Amino acid sequence: MSDSRFEFVGEISEDLESVRPSLTYWADAWRRLKKNKLSMMGIAIIIFTILFGVVGPFLTPYSYSDQINDFRNTPPRLELYAAGDTYLYLTNDYILLEVSENGNIQRRLERIEKDIFNKIYVYEMDGEAVTVDFSYNTLPTKQGYDYDFTIEYMGQVENQPAFTKWNKSFPFGSDGLGRDLLTRVMYGARISLFVAFVATLVNLFIGVIYGSIAGFEGGRVDNIMMRIVDIINSIPLVLYVILLMVWFRNNGLWNIIIALSSVYWVSMARLVRGQMLALKEQEFVLAAITLGVPKRKIIFRHLIPNAMGPIIVAMAMMIPSAVFTEAFLSFIGLGVSAPMASWGVLANNALSGLTTYPYQLFFPALAIAFTMLAFNFLGDGLRDALDPRLRKG
Amino acid sequence: MNSYITKRLVSAVITLLLIATLTFVMMHSIPGGPFTRERPVPDEILRTLNEKYHLDDPLPKQYFDYMKGLITFDLGPSYSKIGTTVNELIAGGFPDSARVGGLASILIIVMGIPLGIISALKQNKTIDYFVMFMATLGVTVPSFVIATVIIYIFAGQLGWLPSFGLSSPLGYIGPVLALAGYSISFVTRLTRSSMLEVLRQDYIRTARANGIPEFWVIAKHAVKNALIPVVTYLGPMVAAILTGSFVVERIFAIGGMGRYFVESVSNRDYTTIMGMTVFYAAFYIIMVLLVDLAYGLIDPRIRLGKEE
Repeated sequence: MSDSRFEFVGEISEDLESVRPSLTYWADAWRRLKKNKLSMMGIAIIIFTILFGVVGPFLTPYSYSDQINDFRNTPPRLELYAAGDTYLYLTNDYILLEVSENGNIQRRLERIEKDIFNKIYVYEMDGEAVTVDFSYNTLPTKQGYDYDFTIEYMGQVENQPAFTKWNKSFPFGSDGLGRDLLTRVMYGARISLFVAFVATLVNLFIGVIYGSIAGFEGGRVDNIMMRIVDIINSIPLVLYVILLMVWFRNNGLWNIIIALSSVYWVSMARLVRGQMLALKEQEFVLAAITLGVPKRKIIFRHLIPNAMGPIIVAMAMMIPSAVFTEAFLSFIGLGVSAPMASWGVLANNALSGLTTYPYQLFFPALAIAFTMLAFNFLGDGLRDALDPRLRKG
Repeated sequence: MNSYITKRLVSAVITLLLIATLTFVMMHSIPGGPFTRERPVPDEILRTLNEKYHLDDPLPKQYFDYMKGLITFDLGPSYSKIGTTVNELIAGGFPDSARVGGLASILIIVMGIPLGIISALKQNKTIDYFVMFMATLGVTVPSFVIATVIIYIFAGQLGWLPSFGLSSPLGYIGPVLALAGYSISFVTRLTRSSMLEVLRQDYIRTARANGIPEFWVIAKHAVKNALIPVVTYLGPMVAAILTGSFVVERIFAIGGMGRYFVESVSNRDYTTIMGMTVFYAAFYIIMVLLVDLAYGLIDPRIRLGKEE
């Protein structure tokens, strides 16, 4: 064979057998979590919601308690009626508002005459009368129209809206007291998330310590500690909250947090106990005991770090359930007191006027649903990323 | 087995007595009695009322009297609904709560478990994605939103369902759906993930290798084992659902236990609160016991009564 049939490939500079950099448990979990699109979306939504609640209120011109009574119950979509060179919007409580062409609410028009018998109201705009006739489809003589009212301004009668515009003044609409719903939903995010995070942290703290002591000690200690957990678990949450309310003589943020914290840790304690029961039989614990490592050190240095995966997954699932419970407690009237508002309070407030103003329920409910969805996605992703049993598969 | 059940029953009774004691202490530690009102009641009347209900007795005596009643299933008179006993209140509220809750529980079981199994068997197929999408939506929407939307659309806009009460059979549809919505989704997700885990096990492969028809592999070997975590969840859930949900009962205007409970706490109606708490706790403990017994039926390896 001649040399010409061989080709010189050059010097081999690198090791052909490349060694993958070894990844720690957490780096590996993060790598897998990053691949999970839904989880990353969940994280994005959570970050957005936090920003929405923390930064958002500074960007709106209103505070959560500002009441503009003239502009109450305006929906996010406005049906505008032409009147001269400006536009009018009639709310469901017969308030006539002047709205600019791009959807900014300008002012409320004064009502100067009210004819209840004929169902005709007269309003005043810049010295001219605006007559609104509500009699269509209500008086027996005026049946079968496809519109319910007409607006007359300087001889020009309108019975169909000129166009529908987004409400620029109140993007989510305003509530029954003329408060901006967008601002209130933002503040709601603050309160709901704050309650959820604080309650979850407290639960984590109590639940992990309690559960690891019960699981590690075992025997009679474990038995008594778990019976206490059973007892706490079988008393309804509502009872704790109402008792706290009466004790502290107010219903505030901290009552909900204390109530949630005093109950929710039991599920965490159960989980950690189960982990401990399995972990403490392993050799490294035996080694530690033989070396005379004190119990506390074994629990905190050896056992808890090894149970961190399931604990974090449980935490991610606990936050949405705390948001849910907070919403539920607020909904039944045990939540934060007015004028503060969490999402549950907003939903509760919207309930009475649901048939007329469905948008007032829509936005807080949407906010709750989005947050729940985000945390659920994140929790599912974390479970896949942290669960060692799935790693082999 | 029998001795195990006896042992569990004894410990259940002790737990119940502890719960009753705890509730008693909690109720009596809050400031103000059941007859404290915004406008002070004249002393004379207050004294007579306290005397009538033995509230002027020393606390230990009140406690023992209450416990004596409890053992004979007498939960005492209601303080706020004069002339009725707590037993009557529970007897009045429980049937409605239990009917709605029972239907909801059945719905949860017949919907949630099969959907979860199907979704696990068809993992990553269209039907799996669809079921999981619906189930994820289901756990994100609070029950009060489901309830209000049902009322708004089906009772308000379409007029198909009555918006309150249980006087017609149609009236059950709304509350049952609102009550079951979250748990159906939860059970579906739980069944699916548990099934997926079981299907990966070696004994399923062995069963298939032995030529057992696929249907029996799933029905006899996979489903049975996958149901253990589901049953664990179902027990306490059924107890909670049967004893009434305040939200659903308020929105649909049903006079069930959930409503009485919240009313009685705000009225500081000690005996009603204690009675209902003990009733709920008893229900809960029985359900947990049933769950433990069910484990033995599902998986004979879990031997009951074996000391750790």
